[in-house]
Amino acid sequence: MKHVKKLYSFIFFSIVLAIAYLFISTAQIQQTLNKNVENIFIQGAKSFAENINTQIKTVIKADPYKELKENPALQKRMEHALSIIVNDTFKYIFVLYRDSNGNYRYLLDGSKEDKARFNQRLSIDKKLWSSVYDTKVPLIINQKELDNLWITYLKPVIFDDKTVAIIAIDFSTQLPQNIYNAIEPLNKIFIYIFIAIGILIIILVYQSMRSIKIKKESITDPLTKAYNRNYLRDLLNNINITKYQIMMLDIDHFKQVNDNYGHKAGDYILASTAKIIQNEIRDDDILIRFGGEEFLVFIKKSSINSNLAYNIGQRIRKKIEASYFYYEDKELQITVSIGISCQPEHFKSVSLAIKYADEMLYRAKREGRNQVVSEITENTAALEGGEIKSINDVKSALEDNRIICFFQAIYNTKSATIIKYEALVRMREKDNSIIPPIKFLESIMYTNVYNDLTKCVLESVFTQIKEKKIQISTNLNFSDILDNKIFNLIITELDAHKELSSWLIIELLEYELIEEITIIQSRLLQIKEYGVKIAIDDFGSGYSNYTIFKLLPIDILKIDGSLIKDIDTSETSYKITHSITLLAKELGITTVAEFVHSKEVLETVKTLQIDEVQGFYLAKPSEKIL
Amino acid sequence: MKKIIFILLLVPLLFASDIKTEQKIYGLIIHALLPQKAEIKVWSDNQSQKEIFRLIQGVKCVENPNDADFLLLSKRKNLTAKGIKFATNIQLLEAEKDSIVGGFFWQKGRPNILFLRKNLKKHNINLPESMQEYIEDEL
Repeated sequence: MKHVKKLYSFIFFSIVLAIAYLFISTAQIQQTLNKNVENIFIQGAKSFAENINTQIKTVIKADPYKELKENPALQKRMEHALSIIVNDTFKYIFVLYRDSNGNYRYLLDGSKEDKARFNQRLSIDKKLWSSVYDTKVPLIINQKELDNLWITYLKPVIFDDKTVAIIAIDFSTQLPQNIYNAIEPLNKIFIYIFIAIGILIIILVYQSMRSIKIKKESITDPLTKAYNRNYLRDLLNNINITKYQIMMLDIDHFKQVNDNYGHKAGDYILASTAKIIQNEIRDDDILIRFGGEEFLVFIKKSSINSNLAYNIGQRIRKKIEASYFYYEDKELQITVSIGISCQPEHFKSVSLAIKYADEMLYRAKREGRNQVVSEITENTAALEGGEIKSINDVKSALEDNRIICFFQAIYNTKSATIIKYEALVRMREKDNSIIPPIKFLESIMYTNVYNDLTKCVLESVFTQIKEKKIQISTNLNFSDILDNKIFNLIITELDAHKELSSWLIIELLEYELIEEITIIQSRLLQIKEYGVKIAIDDFGSGYSNYTIFKLLPIDILKIDGSLIKDIDTSETSYKITHSITLLAKELGITTVAEFVHSKEVLETVKTLQIDEVQGFYLAKPSEKIL
Repeated sequence: MKKIIFILLLVPLLFASDIKTEQKIYGLIIHALLPQKAEIKVWSDNQSQKEIFRLIQGVKCVENPNDADFLLLSKRKNLTAKGIKFATNIQLLEAEKDSIVGGFFWQKGRPNILFLRKNLKKHNINLPESMQEYIEDEL
């Protein structure tokens, strides 16, 4: 929006500048035209004055005053000659001399009206006239003091290097008027251009305002005046997420407000809440109505490890908790739950960072509402207790090659021989203690670090396959297959180890709800083209769904440990497992029993004719393949 | 339309400009000719000229030329009134050069002032230094 405003301002000021330039240029053109026309007339006057001067010198020998005084016929003839030149432009043409008192008197007057007699005195600007008399240099006087005259051209008449008279030609003010009339059509053209541009600017400004208004309306929620999802869609493409923290806010028990007081009351609460949030955040922060009673806020952070969003979240929560909302004489009080993603830059996309903030919000809801939860608050205690490793711990471990794989043997049930291994990721602490994945995977979920870890595990598995020439399975999530980056990473690794790919088994965790099944289907088929086998892990728990066999190219079914661990004592577990086994056999899928922790369990599994077994009773996960 | 507006604006300005100049010059002339008088009575044979005097300080227009200290003449000749006569054009000044003290008129677009020495003497008028340059011995 700011860009649009900037663009419009730029266009507007450019046009204004262009008009100003055009206006100045027009004035300059007019001035130049004036000057040129003026010069043409001055040249004409100079030429006339020169001719008069020549004429005077032709008929007068030395003293114009004396000779003209003595010869009225000559005077008359010469005045007639001068009068021929007089016209609307050259209004007065006359010749004066300076008497002994310094006064100027007529020698000749070519005027047709207002004619002076010989030797009559004329009041003129003595200083200027005398300068012509003394310097013998012609002079152009701009007559600013006189209303009917525009310019006077003075030319000295010199005899024997002595000025004896001055020829004066007065320009009428009619001349500038004529010039004005001559260039008036041009002025009109410019005026029309200015008017047209002015109208265009008005239209442009009107359209811009309209466009801004429409644009603003399209990205603003009319009820809360916060931005809406349209704005969020654009924002996701443009935002530099490293500069923000994400806050997801939800009004607690909002449905009750709607149910008890009506939707208008609900709308009032939404608008009031948005207003409080808006007041508590800064101009740089972005408030978006994410959905129903959910608000998303991008908080501009001051530093990488800032706790700003959490503090602002707490401020908003307290403010709303302490507020009383009055609607139609009813007093309402509400609370909000807030989830925060403090380091959204670690996520693979802004959408995932928002999803994470949403997860934090639901934790806040689950833990009793009216609270703020961020990964910092959530993990601080666990981090302090060493229960959970932070994203930076995992990054550091990856850099130090402290992310390793343990391998647990999987046996053929009948032959009791090891036929494959399952790779299990571990983190080695600097003190050599081993950290299980449950303590560090969650911190890096959806982040780029998770990609790095997946790559590390796949490379480790291929190294072992190459070395031991044995099948090894590795765990992935369905979301990993859907994730373009991870999928491409898998394909890249398979391309790099084509000859070893047939030894690889990918175990997909069954606890995830499978979305976009067609994409998963096609991608698994693509993976299988390399000879990779696909196993479903922990089948029988989570989102168990028999249609999975119809939709996905499954080779192996790993029955969930929760069914196996008490199969020897629980009839239900036994029957479920039996049912699963029969189904798998019908479908030609290999079955694996996990969590075989005792001889009794192993014996029971054998009776069910499960193909493969895995568990602590048989072999514990080990850093080295036996 | 523009032209009409231009003319409507310009003409009064020019007129105002000329009138102001004339008022200023006549004020100077009258007080130079009659420096002792606190109130100078003025008469003119031209109604429009009378308007000029209305705004000059210390000047009062009178209806009877015989009551006037200063008579401004545009065309009237052989006036017997005793006041100081002053012409508004060179032609009248030349025609009445024996009785008229001076004249103020426009020639070639320029204001011209002229006093006749012998007539100044007749009225025992001594012009101030600033006016001396306009005194002519004869026309």
